[in-house]
This record gives sequence, C-alpha cells and structure tokens, in this order.
Amino acid sequence: MLENYLPIIIFIGVGLLFGSALMVIGRLMGPHNPDSEKLSPYECGFEAFEDSRMKFDVRYYLVAILFIIFDLEIAFLFPWAVVLEDIGLFGFVAMMLFLGILVVGFVYEWKKGALEWE
Amino acid sequence: MIDFAWSVWNGIPAWSQVTLVNLVLIIIIVLPVVLGVAYLTFAERKIIGYMQVRIGPNRVGPRGLLQPIADVVKLMLKEVIIPTNANKYLFVTAPVLALAPALVAWAVIPFTDRWVLANIDASLLFVLALTSLGVYGVIIAGWASNSKYAFLGSLRSAAQIVAYEIAMGFALVGVLMSAQSLNLHEIALQQAGGLHQWYLWPLFPLFVVYFIAGVAETNRAPFDVAEGETEIVAGFHVEYSGITFALFFLAEYANMILISALASVMFLGGWWAPLNVVPFTWVPPLGWLLFKMCGLLFLFLWFRATFPRYRYDQIMRLGWKVFIPVTLVWIAVVGAAMQTPLGFLFH
Amino acid sequence: MNFEQLLFYFFSTVLVAAAVMVITIRNPVKAALFLVLTFFTAACLWILLEAEFLAIALVLVYVGAVMVLFLFVVMMLDVNLVRLREGFAEYLPIGGIVAVLLVLEMAIILGPQRFGLGNFPEPAGHAADYSNTRELGRVLYTAYVYPFEIAAVILLVAIIAAIALALRRRKDSKYQDPRKQIRVEPAERLRIVKMPTEKRG
Repeated sequence: MLENYLPIIIFIGVGLLFGSALMVIGRLMGPHNPDSEKLSPYECGFEAFEDSRMKFDVRYYLVAILFIIFDLEIAFLFPWAVVLEDIGLFGFVAMMLFLGILVVGFVYEWKKGALEWE
Repeated sequence: MIDFAWSVWNGIPAWSQVTLVNLVLIIIIVLPVVLGVAYLTFAERKIIGYMQVRIGPNRVGPRGLLQPIADVVKLMLKEVIIPTNANKYLFVTAPVLALAPALVAWAVIPFTDRWVLANIDASLLFVLALTSLGVYGVIIAGWASNSKYAFLGSLRSAAQIVAYEIAMGFALVGVLMSAQSLNLHEIALQQAGGLHQWYLWPLFPLFVVYFIAGVAETNRAPFDVAEGETEIVAGFHVEYSGITFALFFLAEYANMILISALASVMFLGGWWAPLNVVPFTWVPPLGWLLFKMCGLLFLFLWFRATFPRYRYDQIMRLGWKVFIPVTLVWIAVVGAAMQTPLGFLFH
Repeated sequence: MNFEQLLFYFFSTVLVAAAVMVITIRNPVKAALFLVLTFFTAACLWILLEAEFLAIALVLVYVGAVMVLFLFVVMMLDVNLVRLREGFAEYLPIGGIVAVLLVLEMAIILGPQRFGLGNFPEPAGHAADYSNTRELGRVLYTAYVYPFEIAAVILLVAIIAAIALALRRRKDSKYQDPRKQIRVEPAERLRIVKMPTEKRG
C-alpha cells in the first residue's frame, strides 16, 4: 500500500518546487526598482488609512463552524458509501438515523436564519 | 553508448531508480497541464471574443496562437512588488501554496486504463482533501497583503469555497455509493461498456451540483465575487504582480482543468468511448478523456460569457439552501433504491 | 535504516519542529500556519502506519476545515502581546503545577508497561489492494453503531451551540426582501382618504 504513496510524496515536492522556482525566475528576470508610492497598499488612489485588518462580522465564524460540522458529516459518509452493499439494510438505516439527527440541526439553522446573508 | 547508459542506470541504487522514473512521469503530467493552462487562457479569450462578436487576440503568431507564450514571457519580465506593509514571507508563500495542491491532485487521476501515476485506494478522498487545501493560498494572500481589498476578497472567497466544498463532498458520496469504491480508477472502470453505463444518468442531480460547485470552488464567473472587479478591484490578489500573479492564475486554471477531469472520470465514463462501435473505438482512450474535459471546460467559458455575476448572498443561498438539500435527498434516494431490487439502476 | 524509517524520522522531525514553532513564534497567524504544518506531517505519519482513511480525513477535516476557522479567528484578533506577558510571572506557579501534573499523568498511562513495544506484535504490512476505508466502514456502521449515532447527537449539539453563541441579527443592515416587494398590494402603500370638500374659509 505504501509504495503507492511514493509518487505522491515526490509530486508534493515537485509541486512546491515548481512554484518556488517560477518565483525565483520571475524575481531574477524582472526589474527591481521600488519606490514608496509603488509599494504602498492599493486603495483606488486614496492614501491608505487605518489598519486593513479590520474586525468583521461574527457571521463568518458561524459559517466556518457549520462548515466544520458538515465536513465531519462527509467524513462519516465516505466509508459508509463504499461499503453500503456489504452492510445492507442495517447500515442504511443507521446512516439515515445519523443524517436524520443532523437534518434536524440543519432545519434549525435554516429556521433561525443562520444561513441568511443580509 | 546505450550499453554505457544502461550500466550507469543499473549502477545507481534501486530507490533512486524508482524516484527518477517517478520524476519523469510527474514531469510528463505537469508539463501538459501547464501548457493546457496557457492554451486554456487563449481559448477563453478567443471563445468569449467570438461569443461577443469580437475577434479576440490575433496578432502574436498565426491567428494569435503564440499569444499565451507572449503572456508568460511578459509576466516573467514584470517587476514583483511586495507592498511595504505586507508580511513578506507569507506574501510570497501564498501563491506557491495555491498552486501546489492544484498540481499534486493530478497524481491520482486515471488517464487511461493502465495509466495512473499513484493508484491509491482512497484517491477520491485524497482529491477532496487537496482541493480543501487550496483555500489557504487565498486566505494567506489576503491577509499577508495587508490591503483592504485583498482582505475582503479573501474573506469572501474563503466563505464561498467553504460553502461549496460541502455540496461537492455530498455529491461525491453519491458516486461512491454507485461505484462502491473510493478509487478513481475503479470508479471509471465500473462505467465501461458505453454511454448508458455512465453515472451521469442515475446521478444527474449530483453531476449538476458537482460541476456548479466546481465552478464556484475555482472562483470562476458567475461566482467570482472574490475578484469582483467592480467592487473590490481584483480581490485577494490585488497586490500581486508579475510572476506572483501568474502563479495564482496558473492555480485557478489548473483547478478548472482538474475539475473537468474529475467530472469526466466520475460521471462521464473517463477514458471510455461512448459507444463500442467502429468509428468511436478508433479514437484512443486518452483522446476520449481529453474530449470530455474540453467539453466541460467549454462550459466554464460559456458560463463566464453568459451569466452576470451573482450577488454574494445569492451565492451563499444557492450553496447552503439548494445544493445541500438536493444532494442529501439524492443520497437518501440512491441508498434506499440500493436496498430494493431497483438497485441495479444506480450501478 | 530503510527508506520507510528515513521518512518516519523526517516527518517526525518536521512535526516536532513545527509544534515547537507553534508555541514559540510571536505572530499568531504564523503560529496557526505552523499548526497546519503539524497536522499535515501527522497525517503523513499516519499514512506510514497504513491508516489511509484517517490520515486523509485528518487533512480534510483539521487542515481543510478546523484550521480555516482558527485562521479566521486569529487573523481578526488584536492580540496585544505586551499585555499578555504582564501576567506571565503571576500565573507561572499554577501553570507549572498543571504542566507537571499533565506530564505525570501521561507518563503513568502511556508508560512502557502498557504501550511498550514488547506488548504488541509487529503489524503486518498490507497488500497493494488493501482498502483501509472499507475495513473501517464494515465495523463502524454495524458493530459501533451506538457511538456512531452518539456522534450525530454531539454534532447536533454543536450546531445548536454555534448558532446560540454566534448568531446575531444586525439591526443596522438594510436589505430587500423580493418576495415582499412582489406581493405588495396597492392598498398597503396608498391610502385614499375620502373627505368632504371644505368650505372656503
């Protein structure tokens, strides 16, 4: 089994190297004469003001948390889908119960308006 | 001369032989992908040009065919600007992090019956995990630039990628149920025998969801609010120039090609010909795969020419309130049908 | 040392180094990114153990989802490092006691008498077509069905808790409700008032 992963490790190395190599080439071939105006953050012609890392709506956290929960659900669904024929009706009912419980949560967040963007 | 080469080859240790062979194979995969990206940008400009009754690029080389080469050279010769307020190391790592997963995922794509570089058992899960890594390039780019537009763009993009990844994952579960395997090669093998065996038919809703989620995951029009020129200029890569910008560009297009390849393998029968009769079997298997991928890529471009950009709340609503329920229902339908004698319909 | 051991030591070194960076580096965003690297190398180690599904699920769930949330949080924090360090000496004794206790507890449980190499037979390698996911699936939904359903309940609680904590309606946001706009009747917008003509004053 492990021998199948060898190309992937090498590929990860190649993938990172490829990007880095291109960066180095671009850095070497391009001109390099910075000035303060050129290096200031882009702000449509205005002087940059305030820190750009502002606070943002807590809603983003909510979306991220919901995403984690659903991602876990997917992680549970994958092995189930692969062996569904082996585990038969019992496995099917077990998963439907699992999904049923989570659909309750999904309906709750829908009704609460957690999925609305204002 | 050949004998000498052989003796050198046999002289080096076995592990370096394997590594070298793998390296060569990887280069054989990566180079066409990169070339494909270059010509996909050209095709995009040409096709959208024709759709809008323009000619598109036609100056460099015959019919403009050398345009992508000129673009690459130009991007390489441009100055790389690192803004003063930016976080230098993260700023230059972000494009590399965006590109690497888009390339590595190709390791597990089955190109033909015999040709798959890493035939791992959980290859589908592997691809899903890798595509979920793509979001880091975007988030880090937006944060490291320390610019408001970049930051807003990366936030939007992250929330959007996150929402559609779930729909994508659910859609894949349907494929797994039909194929009873996580292995992409196996999934394609199960669809042998012609058009009617493709998973496109029993899993049609999932195919639609998967492909649209793929368009959204790659931040392509009409889901390109992360770039949204009219609102936030260019989104997360507004501060990037020259080759650093090119890497983001490369990652986006490589992801488009990847999504098309995956959709072809999982829903359109991969390398199999649509019918096992004479004119169709003359085309080599790889040709069929490329043909299907081109068809899907054309859809990507067609969408961009046709649909106006979605509003942000519409995108989130589509992802959470339409796609997730549709996929859940279809998973239940397929699962229930497999418990009855009707199960053969979904294989 | 064969190639597999070499990989093991390489990944372990990266893992430990990245974990050390997480707690020593100043910038919280960089710390979170080192944590990503830690998870990723941990996944590589799991692959070496032939726990294919768990390894990839670790990348999918922790690297692809949980750390995205961490990054969201950390990027937005205005962490004032000077103020954080003010209480350092004050909390040091308590922190030290807790740390020593933790190490002791772990030493008792994870000691060689339970997890020593001699207690386990060397695991046999699997064939190339071995499907870790399939093995997992066969038992998870049958033999371990109760823990599996309890996982669903825990996730449900997590959904409700997240909504209770983070959902806030903004009062100042203005948005359109197309449904309302379409359904509007003339009577709701316009009131025709009948009144007698008044005499010229």
